[in-house]
Amino acid sequence: MESRFDVIVIGAGHAGVEAARAAARMGCRVAICTLSEATVAHMPCNPAIGGTAKGHLVREIDALGGLMGEAIDATGIQFKLLNRSRGPAVRSPRAQADKRRYGAWVAKALRREERLTWVVGRVGSVIVRRDRVTGIELETAAGDAGGERLHARAVVVTTGTFLNGLVHVGPRRTPAGRAWEPPSRRLAESLKALGLPWGRLKTGTPPRLHRRSIRFERLERTLGDEQPVPFSFMTGRIDRPQVACHRMHTTERVHEIVRANIERSPLYNGQIEGIGPRYCPSLEDKVMRFPHHERHQVLLEPEGLDVDEVYVNGYSMSLPVDVQQSLVHALPGLEDAEMMRPGYAVEYDFVQPTALSRSYEAKGVAGLFLAGQVNGTSGYEEAAGQGVLAGINAARAFAGDEPFVLGREEAYLGVLADDLTTRGCLEPYRMFTSRAEYRLLLRIDNADLRLTERGREVGLVDDRRWARFQDRRSRFEENARRVARTTVTLADGKRARASQALRRPDVDLDWLARSKELRLEVAPGEEREDLWTVETHFKYAGYLERQEATIERSRRLEHRRIPASFSYSSLPGLSREIVERLTETRPETLGQALRIPGVTPAAVALIGARVSA
Amino acid sequence: MFATDDTIVAIATPPGPGGVGIVRVSGAGAVGIAGRILSTSSRLAPRRATLTDALDPADRRPVDRVLATYFPGPRSYTGEDVVEISGHGSPVILRQIVAAATAAGARLAEPGEFTLRAFLRGRLDLVQAEAVHDLVTAVTPRQARMAFDQLEGTATAAIGVLDRVLFDLVARLEASLDFPDEGYHFIDARAAGVEAARLAERVRGLIVSAQRGRLIRDGCQVAVAGRPNAGKSSLFNALCGAQRAIVADAPGTTRDLVTETVDLGGIPVTLVDTAGIRTATEEVEAEGVRRARAALGVAAAVIVVLDRSRPLDADDWALLEETTARPRLVVVNKRDLRAAWSPAVEPRMAACRPLLETCLIDESAAAGIRGALQQVIEGGAPLRDTPALSNVRHIDLLGRAEAALQRASEAAGAGASEELVLADLEEARRALEEISGKRTPDAVLEHIFEQFCIGK
Repeated sequence: MESRFDVIVIGAGHAGVEAARAAARMGCRVAICTLSEATVAHMPCNPAIGGTAKGHLVREIDALGGLMGEAIDATGIQFKLLNRSRGPAVRSPRAQADKRRYGAWVAKALRREERLTWVVGRVGSVIVRRDRVTGIELETAAGDAGGERLHARAVVVTTGTFLNGLVHVGPRRTPAGRAWEPPSRRLAESLKALGLPWGRLKTGTPPRLHRRSIRFERLERTLGDEQPVPFSFMTGRIDRPQVACHRMHTTERVHEIVRANIERSPLYNGQIEGIGPRYCPSLEDKVMRFPHHERHQVLLEPEGLDVDEVYVNGYSMSLPVDVQQSLVHALPGLEDAEMMRPGYAVEYDFVQPTALSRSYEAKGVAGLFLAGQVNGTSGYEEAAGQGVLAGINAARAFAGDEPFVLGREEAYLGVLADDLTTRGCLEPYRMFTSRAEYRLLLRIDNADLRLTERGREVGLVDDRRWARFQDRRSRFEENARRVARTTVTLADGKRARASQALRRPDVDLDWLARSKELRLEVAPGEEREDLWTVETHFKYAGYLERQEATIERSRRLEHRRIPASFSYSSLPGLSREIVERLTETRPETLGQALRIPGVTPAAVALIGARVSA
Repeated sequence: MFATDDTIVAIATPPGPGGVGIVRVSGAGAVGIAGRILSTSSRLAPRRATLTDALDPADRRPVDRVLATYFPGPRSYTGEDVVEISGHGSPVILRQIVAAATAAGARLAEPGEFTLRAFLRGRLDLVQAEAVHDLVTAVTPRQARMAFDQLEGTATAAIGVLDRVLFDLVARLEASLDFPDEGYHFIDARAAGVEAARLAERVRGLIVSAQRGRLIRDGCQVAVAGRPNAGKSSLFNALCGAQRAIVADAPGTTRDLVTETVDLGGIPVTLVDTAGIRTATEEVEAEGVRRARAALGVAAAVIVVLDRSRPLDADDWALLEETTARPRLVVVNKRDLRAAWSPAVEPRMAACRPLLETCLIDESAAAGIRGALQQVIEGGAPLRDTPALSNVRHIDLLGRAEAALQRASEAAGAGASEELVLADLEEARRALEEISGKRTPDAVLEHIFEQFCIGK
């Protein structure tokens, strides 16, 4: 095998596949290392993509030229636009995935990349010479150190929960990155030896049930949208038949069982040290920490069209198998359900991402990039979003180009990178719309208008996407011109400028579509998308202008750079705690410094005075 | 802004001779510098006054017998190591001690720099830092009281209470957006609208109180207007308690604007005695009339003086007309003389309230006028509580918060989606946080600290 590459990606999960494909598309010879070709873009937890804010991330990944949007559009089995009744900025697509087809689709897409080489094996270490990555060393087939060496100027680590992973099912502890898959210990040690700061987190997953053992007829069906809203700007209509999910609620009996067995939960008896996500509590946490809630929602989600496993959303737990069994049977409709796999909790090491710059490159090790759950995040979408940017930046580092960084005002991807690298993770990080202070500007309908040109500049957007985008952009611009200059007659017979009329609550998308005076241009199959952007642009103009003004005000701080060599400890105005924070995090700009927890505006003013002096 | 990592020195007591004068040294080198300019052989003990001599660096001879106190950081005024040297309050001696300190490596402090350092090190928040300035420049006890309360953190607490309520509302709305599938109802939009309106109301309350606070802090101008010889200068003198303005019987005596500041129930009120407003006959007088009109334009309140012993003329009516929409006190003078008219029977005077009939040359007139004027200035009943906030910056930011809350409330009431309501609530939060300096553009800081005097 050829052992010299431009970029090596360790891991082929959602971060790894985006990173590898992005770097390959940008012209790099890429090696992607995976433990098994059967688990490419695997979904070890929820068989779904998207959700509030996560759907935004997928749109943005797509707008830059990434994979995830097209993959889920091609393999989704139920689509739903969340927050449909709310404003355009918080609507977000979500879809149930056929997880096998999803993984196969992604693997196939990667195999089409000529510059991409698959390496199946376990990576033992990252090789670093004089603070610069030079390659990796695989383990031998027998699992020992000192296997084959591969060389590259950039290495992207996307090892998910595999670093020192430990799976808990009741008292049983199994070293594993995911169920049944052995962890990466040697690689973890190799990375720790580089001096990166570490922490330990926990996440969990629910039991899986056999579909034929479930009495679906007794459960409430939940359906997708009649007309799915696709994730990708490249997808026209999705006309595939969709499947149903099923809803139920926990009962007092369930809560009793949890309480009676709580001492056997690794979460409650001290066996688990890692910190779990507060926004995705285990069943144990739901019952014990929210005793005032009489019931909690549980959803049954199929893992695929021809897969027997059914995912029990909202029921993640790490109790012993026999307790899990009775907890499943305590749910109405699941009295005879057959548990194919128990739920489990997994503890794993993660790198505190404050050690990274916003390009996901480690601050002390040139050419070493980290992306995905290894950075303390949770979720396939957060992983893929970091992957695509880490891949772009690995390719740029190889070529000697400046890092590609998105701002908080440009994209959720920018918020993600900035939050991770300035604030670090105290619990698994999940994206929320509330994390974006310029939320009204960061919508799914304008993700391409925000990002496709940037994706084109770095070389990730191909000609087909670029042509399609240019058409859409010119339609939008033409439509916006028409709305701005046309006067229309409203339902009450009054005449008004269309741009003003759109601010009225009763003048909406449908009105825009029907208006004969405006005659807006829409592409077949993309009517709603086209009109949405126009509607939002005018309907919320006042709000958008105010957010733009806020961005303008903050620009001065965001653009004032702090030299990497800046010595905080020689600035006597700062408290020791603030000096420690700043020295650890090394913010790139004054704006970033201000977002570091515990750093006061006064401290930033102090730094600013020194920086400009 | 200036460097913040060196050691600074300045005289902390007012300029001019005094019984005691203090030189303050602050910074990492404070103890070392003190060691070089004081004769004491041992190191200064923390928080203990040490009797010693300040030395002339040239010949090492004592220039003064002083008390030196060392306040180790961070528990000092600036948060840095501070040494305070109390000497005899002779400007010459104090300047010599400062010169010795600068020769030993300290830098002369810029205006406000000690307080700036205290702020940068988190010893004070922004409102408190402003209060330091207000406290030392206070001229009325009520000003001092207000500044002291702010220094104690009352303003920060008042805003903090609002911010907590706002934060809770924001959190609940955000939860509704980010967890739409949870099946829990965090808060409905209409309830949020009501709550935003309630918050706007509370901010409005703070604004009203801050406007009063500003009155106490900055004081105001009151123009005294009226026909020549109606008794303006007498009124002026009655309020000032001194024969400041020139009083004579010939009309047109007062050509210049005479001003005097009096303490009116804790508010420093600057009275402007305008030249008699009338059709001027000579050039000098015309200039006086022009200035009088300008003063009338900017004053917070107007006192119109009318002469009861002569019939009202066109000039009187013009003045009453001109000032009708302003906070105004009408004084009908010369009750001691025979009345040519009476406000009680003059129907066009019915709207002129408040109105006092008096005799201004009578010493007992002053008290009544003072009370009536204070009510006019304060715009109602005297304040019971000390206002929490007091300057233009506070009022401006409160105004921004109130407008944003109002927009949020209207949007929520009209059924707008949460993220739009939140955009305005966030703006309100930003404005409130800027008051205490939790989040503030540094230009604001510079502006604030420019106003400080040296050594505080």
